[in-house]
Amino acid sequence: DRVKGQGRGCLLKEIHLNVTDLGLGYRTKEELIFRYCSGPCFDAETNYDKILNNLTHNKKLDKETPSRTCCRPVAFDDDVSFLDDSLEYHTLKKHSARKCACV
Amino acid sequence: PALAKENNCLNAAKACNLNDTCKKYRSAYISPCTSRVSTAEVCNKRKCHKALRQFFDKVPPKHSYGMLFCSCPLGDQLACSERRRQTIVPACSYEDKEKPNCLTLQASCKTNYICRSRLADFFTNCQPEPRSLSGCLKENYADCLLSYSGLIGTVMTSNYLRSSKISVSPFCDCSSSGNSKEECDRFTEFFTDNACLRNAILAFGNGTDVSVWQPMPPV
Repeated sequence: DRVKGQGRGCLLKEIHLNVTDLGLGYRTKEELIFRYCSGPCFDAETNYDKILNNLTHNKKLDKETPSRTCCRPVAFDDDVSFLDDSLEYHTLKKHSARKCACV
Repeated sequence: PALAKENNCLNAAKACNLNDTCKKYRSAYISPCTSRVSTAEVCNKRKCHKALRQFFDKVPPKHSYGMLFCSCPLGDQLACSERRRQTIVPACSYEDKEKPNCLTLQASCKTNYICRSRLADFFTNCQPEPRSLSGCLKENYADCLLSYSGLIGTVMTSNYLRSSKISVSPFCDCSSSGNSKEECDRFTEFFTDNACLRNAILAFGNGTDVSVWQPMPPV
């Protein structure tokens, strides 16, 4: 669970798209709502992230650049199905976010 | 009146995917209805039927009927009418290796509690009456559409036939009916050539029967 007051900038956003906008190679005129996580996570950073930041800055980690806190989905939306132009059904799983957090 | 270029069935599918409830229950039946379970079976028909019944139980008619009873212009056979035929995923929910006799199918429906009651509702609520303006004995299109959609997910699951006018049928025919040929023909015509059901579908598709998808005022 996220500590109160941390990661407030990381939010669930949504955009109305054509299935073809997803770039997954499907040919269809159907549409969907795509939800994603976006926003800063500075206020959710731990000592671990501060140390990584300092070590990267002081060049103590050679060429490694470990990832710091990211605004990511922690739960995914329900599956979505659509019929393509050749009358075949497709179902996408884990394609859209439901809940976001700084992880 | 809708423009000739508008594909109402596509528009209904778009509207469904933009609504969380419709989207959820739509993919919840498309998944089992399109998943191959073995080399012999294209899908688990029992699971497909159950998920289809759930879709029509849980999704508001505005969306579920929007896809099942969407109107297609006469000329447009592929993009619109074929999409409408695909609504119930007929390869799994409808078609079978062999086409049974319709009276045999009716008898098998009567052995199942859900199917028996839903078929009885359908015969009551979609009873044609040529003398009434609506074409129905019970002048209530909403009840007829509800009873018809209630058959989807039972052995009497019906679908649109590839025909120039609106005609539906369960997956059966009247070959090898023997002495019961007339009875079998009467049974199939209640589906394929029923003015009450056809008018109800047309009225929904044209948006002329508003009561179907707007909640009734409290009595």
